[in-house]
Amino acid sequence: MDLAHFPYLSAILLSCVVGLLVILFIPREREALVKGVSLVFSAIALALSIYVFCAYDRTLGGLQFVEKLLWVEPLGIHYFNGADGFNLPLILLTGIVHFTGVLTMWELHGRVKEFFAFAFVLVLGVFGFFMSMDLFFLFVWFDVSLFPMYPLIAIWGTTRKEYGALKLFLYLLAGSALILPGIVYLAVASGLHTFDIMALMHPRALTPGQQRFAFILFYLGFGILAGVWPFHTWSPVGHVAAPTSVSMIHAGVLMKVGAFGILRVAIFLCPIGWEYWSPVMAVLATIGIVYGIFVGLRQTDLKYVVAYSSVSHMGIVGLGLATVTAEGLNGAVFQMFAHGIMTALLFSSLGYIYDKTHTKLIPDLGGMSRVMPVASGYFIVAALAGMGVPGFASFWAEVTVFISALKVYPVLGILAICALVLSALYMLRVVQKTFYGQRNERYARLPDVSFGVGLPRMILVAVMVLFGLFPRLMLDLIQTAVIPFMAGGGLPR
Amino acid sequence: MKWLVLGPEIYFLAVAAVFLILSMMRPNEKRDFSAALFLAGLGVAVTLATVRMGGSLFHGAYRVDLFSQLLKSLLSVGFFLVVCLCSSLKGIHETRQSEFYLFLATCTLGMMLLVSSLELLTLYVALELASYSLYALVPLRNGGGQQMEAGIKYFLSGIATSALMLFGLASLFAATQTTSISELILKLPTLLNTPMAFIGLLLTLCGFFFKLALFPFHIWAPSVYQGAANQVTAFVATATKVTAMAMLVRLVSMSDGNTSLAHVLTALAIVSMTYGNLVAMVQKDFKRLLAYSAIAHAGYSLIGILSMNPTGYAAAVFYALAYLTMTFTCFLVIVKVAADGRDVTIAELAGLHRRSPLLAMALMVGVFSLGGIPPTIGFTGKFLVFNAAMERGYFLLVLIAMINVVVSLYYYIQVVKAAFLLEPGEQLPSIHLSTPTTLLTLAMVVIIVVGGIWPSYLFELARAAAQTLR
Repeated sequence: MDLAHFPYLSAILLSCVVGLLVILFIPREREALVKGVSLVFSAIALALSIYVFCAYDRTLGGLQFVEKLLWVEPLGIHYFNGADGFNLPLILLTGIVHFTGVLTMWELHGRVKEFFAFAFVLVLGVFGFFMSMDLFFLFVWFDVSLFPMYPLIAIWGTTRKEYGALKLFLYLLAGSALILPGIVYLAVASGLHTFDIMALMHPRALTPGQQRFAFILFYLGFGILAGVWPFHTWSPVGHVAAPTSVSMIHAGVLMKVGAFGILRVAIFLCPIGWEYWSPVMAVLATIGIVYGIFVGLRQTDLKYVVAYSSVSHMGIVGLGLATVTAEGLNGAVFQMFAHGIMTALLFSSLGYIYDKTHTKLIPDLGGMSRVMPVASGYFIVAALAGMGVPGFASFWAEVTVFISALKVYPVLGILAICALVLSALYMLRVVQKTFYGQRNERYARLPDVSFGVGLPRMILVAVMVLFGLFPRLMLDLIQTAVIPFMAGGGLPR
Repeated sequence: MKWLVLGPEIYFLAVAAVFLILSMMRPNEKRDFSAALFLAGLGVAVTLATVRMGGSLFHGAYRVDLFSQLLKSLLSVGFFLVVCLCSSLKGIHETRQSEFYLFLATCTLGMMLLVSSLELLTLYVALELASYSLYALVPLRNGGGQQMEAGIKYFLSGIATSALMLFGLASLFAATQTTSISELILKLPTLLNTPMAFIGLLLTLCGFFFKLALFPFHIWAPSVYQGAANQVTAFVATATKVTAMAMLVRLVSMSDGNTSLAHVLTALAIVSMTYGNLVAMVQKDFKRLLAYSAIAHAGYSLIGILSMNPTGYAAAVFYALAYLTMTFTCFLVIVKVAADGRDVTIAELAGLHRRSPLLAMALMVGVFSLGGIPPTIGFTGKFLVFNAAMERGYFLLVLIAMINVVVSLYYYIQVVKAAFLLEPGEQLPSIHLSTPTTLLTLAMVVIIVVGGIWPSYLFELARAAAQTLR
């Protein structure tokens, strides 16, 4: 391994592995200790991801923090991690969401040890997926991030948890049934017999026909996880069934794994396939945006409302990717980050309300802003961010995507924007019914969020506002990867 | 000194003799178990000591090379692991326990002879030695007739397949005028276009399809898995499968990439995977479920073999090793949950996470490994197999296999769900594991995970072994 620098990326993975191992050796009665250990190791991972985000040299661009180690020589498998403008926002996102997720679950009781152990496995997989530059490891991390979802939802979940968990698990692994043949196909069909993404990016590695064929495998395989319509049906059910912090990680991070997979594997390795299939992608993405909003309008369960808004917001990511333009890619990656933070905040504040009231049905709630003004405030802020109100990160992301979409697909772009205006209506309706209006006396005496419990939400709001006020912090970084990629040469080696 | 290369075989013959003598003495459960454990442990050491040896005996009828020695090591490890499960052998009456170890030893001996045979007649005799030991082992269990049904089913279908195989061997001889595998390798590739040689080879393979429980030779598997004592099933499910996979590698490698043979094997692999996985979904008994999953796994391992390239053979050998570890882990859990030697239904696994967190974790790792979820050795095995098939351009076959993997996850997740999620109707006591059992369980978990993360060493070993085939 090139040890010219400290392996920061591996250190992030290692902090998750060590956290997991330490938790496994703590007696199950010591719940507070388990939580403390989780917090410490998730804080280490967060600190490292912030460091990597800040220390990345933006003037240099390209792949940095490279760690490369030959793993299985005869098969051409490398342990190959690297950070560029595409994955850095997502690594940061994962760090933030996991850390705040641990804080959100601070009041969990019952099988605490197992919960945090599975959560570490999940986050380990997600971190690994984002930073890996080797297809084999990419796939391994992909599956590692998926299988803990089953126990996490089925054990600690709520509404129809077993059904939701099983549906989610089988849907997502059905995606991997397309991805695994796809990556082996790429390695063999290219004649290079390597899983190294940088090597496979060589313009002549794959013929146009092969690219068109492989692209569709990856698009469908990862698209299931990204919640691409019509493969999104696992997502609302799974979100609703999952416990709060799992919903946060799931909607905030895991769906981005799917979108990032489309970017890193399908678009990177099969650019000709990307151009060929982009109209299909655009149509599916627009249907997703419109469909998510209309179905969301009819929901009475707050979590379903948020879950369907995730489907439509992931549609915006898909639309950005489908434009095949630099701005579109830029907006899509920014939207992945912004939506991750926003939806984590939505689920987090919702989780608090649910914990206290034991209901998430809109008709049962009402006037919550008078009962718990601070908790309601967090939800309203997140809802505003979801509507694309300026001042929050998602505003910039959505504007970037829509500007480029209008250039490439004027009709679809207008359709999506109209739908987004509707979505404002739908979020406002939810906010109005839940937080204003007639107060439900049953919940009148419930306590509001204390400072400690509110801490994770504060962090998320701060991040949203920070990148909302200074979007160039993020856009410039993404730009360093997008410009050379779109120039045709791929990333500079 | 020349006879030293036969070390493992001579040793296991001696072990069989020891148990033959013990079976004539007063039955003593403790004594038999301690003797078996000691001898099995020593057997692993003896076999490992001969791994790097090589040589040819009896005018080329018997060859000792890395391929055979690696498999003998696996077999002796399999034997040792199964003996480790016998600390309380409740499923078999005390008076018959020395016979149990005796047949286990002769069966292991037979399979060891098998993987070294380079002569069709030796091969057949060795196979029958292993088979007849198993025919005796299956009905050894106590209880209500179920084991007899299993034994008779196993015996009848076994000898029927033997007859097929003999017919195949005869045709092979008729077509090539030789029974030596080293000569067959040279003659067969050109002769395989003649129906007699082709049918001969295919029928010879049937003998091992039967051991592997590949469709359509699978009928015995569910009843035998359920009817035999848990420890016997563990042996049938691990050691014999490993041998069968290895022998298929050896025999198929003689054909030198014949496409018609590949087509037949492809069809068998697809049917076997699909059938096994679909039927496994409705099973209630855990051992029966594992039987159907074994039928499916026979299909997966065949994918590596039918690729007929060095990567494919290496992948199949690796798969055999992986299959041994993960299946054994599942049986370890079965044996410990059913302390009185009964069958275990999936519903009975409920609350396992409370009764024994370690066993629950081992079960999850083992089952996910069978399901092919990384980072486990089972995933690596599947990956290698698929890689080999893709090199031959069998994209559709890989896709079908992957769809099968997803289907299989449905029933594997039911097992995990029972262990982690469901609560038993009545409060069950926690399962106490002795220190050696705890260590063994941990070791299995570590092997499965580490084999998935660092497959490099094992894969190189499998490659080196596959290269000695030619």
